[in-house]
Amino acid sequence: MTITSASFLAAVMIVAGVIFFLPRGLPRQILLALCNAAFLSLSIPNLSSAIAMAVFVLSGFFVADLVRRIPNHRARPYLLASYLVLLLAAFVTLKEYQFLNFLIPPGTVSRWISLVGLSYILFRQIHYVVDVAEGQIERASLWGYLNYQFDLFALYSGPIQRYQHFTESWGALAPILDDTHLRLRALGRLMLGIIKVAAISTLMLKIADHAASRQLHIRSPRDWVAFAALFYAYPAYIYFNFSGYCDVVIAAAAFVGIDLPENFNHPYLARNAIDFWGRWHMTLTHWIRDYVFTPLYKKGVETNIIRPQRLSYACYFIALFLAGLWHGSTANFAIFGLLHGAGVSVTKMWEEHIIRRRGRPGWREYLKSRPIYLAATFVTINFVCFTFLFFPSDLRGRASFLRRFLFERPTASNVVATMTEKGGA
Amino acid sequence: MSSISPESIREHTQTVFRNVFNDDEIVLSDAMTADDVDGWDSLTHINLIIAVERQFGIKFATAEISGLKADDQNIGTFLKLIQKKLDAKR
Repeated sequence: MTITSASFLAAVMIVAGVIFFLPRGLPRQILLALCNAAFLSLSIPNLSSAIAMAVFVLSGFFVADLVRRIPNHRARPYLLASYLVLLLAAFVTLKEYQFLNFLIPPGTVSRWISLVGLSYILFRQIHYVVDVAEGQIERASLWGYLNYQFDLFALYSGPIQRYQHFTESWGALAPILDDTHLRLRALGRLMLGIIKVAAISTLMLKIADHAASRQLHIRSPRDWVAFAALFYAYPAYIYFNFSGYCDVVIAAAAFVGIDLPENFNHPYLARNAIDFWGRWHMTLTHWIRDYVFTPLYKKGVETNIIRPQRLSYACYFIALFLAGLWHGSTANFAIFGLLHGAGVSVTKMWEEHIIRRRGRPGWREYLKSRPIYLAATFVTINFVCFTFLFFPSDLRGRASFLRRFLFERPTASNVVATMTEKGGA
Repeated sequence: MSSISPESIREHTQTVFRNVFNDDEIVLSDAMTADDVDGWDSLTHINLIIAVERQFGIKFATAEISGLKADDQNIGTFLKLIQKKLDAKR
């Protein structure tokens, strides 16, 4: 069952209708918990996967509880760090990361265990355990935790909600059916999301795939149009697909009384790489900021290893590199992350350069300038589209396509093939 | 530091702000937000947190650090959190 399928949408509407007439509190929670369990069961193919999922997720709750109960406050960080290392080791093993292929040949784990949405579960779990250990989650129950982790609306692809935010709506579970304005707004958003996923993103992918399947050459001006189609259509596909998906789940969750966080804010209008990450997959960005960048940078400044400015560049690199790796287990995602790490670092260097030369008032003028904004947005969107060339996991195929496009001379057979294709079209 | 008064917390925090943002004219008021202080971006925010932690000998939790720069937060809530942490130290 996919999120945009008629069966999913019909199920959401039926549950929204039933939950509306149930008494508030536990009866509504039980109904949603049953829906979560049913939805989860669709993605668990066998018993070994179910056991692995149970061990992975339950370890988070019980270790958090254990850390919170330890009377010796100084021992807490060590126990927490040890658990997080083990959790990450389990995650990279279950996902069969490419860099581990020499240790774990592909298929060793995936033959027995297949877990969908594990990357999102991992990030929710790290947040939960850290926040419990640091006293930021005071009232936690296994019931609330399991429904938080397996919330069907955020299970597969986020948004990455925080536990505190989830419990606010989980405690109230007030469906929006009695509010005409909210109901119509959610319905409109649901429709918009379906159009984005089913129509626009599908079209964009077809355009990108068609261009990628052809042998293009930079010396042929006609091929530039096809290359531009690939260059811009693929990032458009990613955006419409993912933001449309988020529109659907945010609207569907609202129908049953769950408030999910926003994930996109016009990312292709960003003026630089930092701004882009503040608008693109925002819940991921905020997670990376809070649980990777900030602790890393803070620890670095406190230990006084290198100058804070240089340290910040290193932390941007590491944070974005990890964000890239989190997207997938293959090398292309590492390249994607490194490119964005470079983009964010260069953005910060440029900002510091302007402030050094023109001072803070000059920086404010720079930010207000309309021509500069337009130029910066143009550069940013092209940078982002360039990085998305490395997003598909077929890195060799994409590299070979780019090499042919940039460096190979059109051969007679290629020209004939291209002409035939054009003639056929 | 554990029996410090609210006025003294405000005064010490103001000194920290002036040092971090390199601006001797900063005067803290409860309604002030990150948008009101020139240069208060995500990176300076962490530098500010580190300086406040050093000044008062306290530690902010991971979730508190970003929470202090959220849209619904201001200097008033920042000072209250410092006070709460100092009270917990007693």
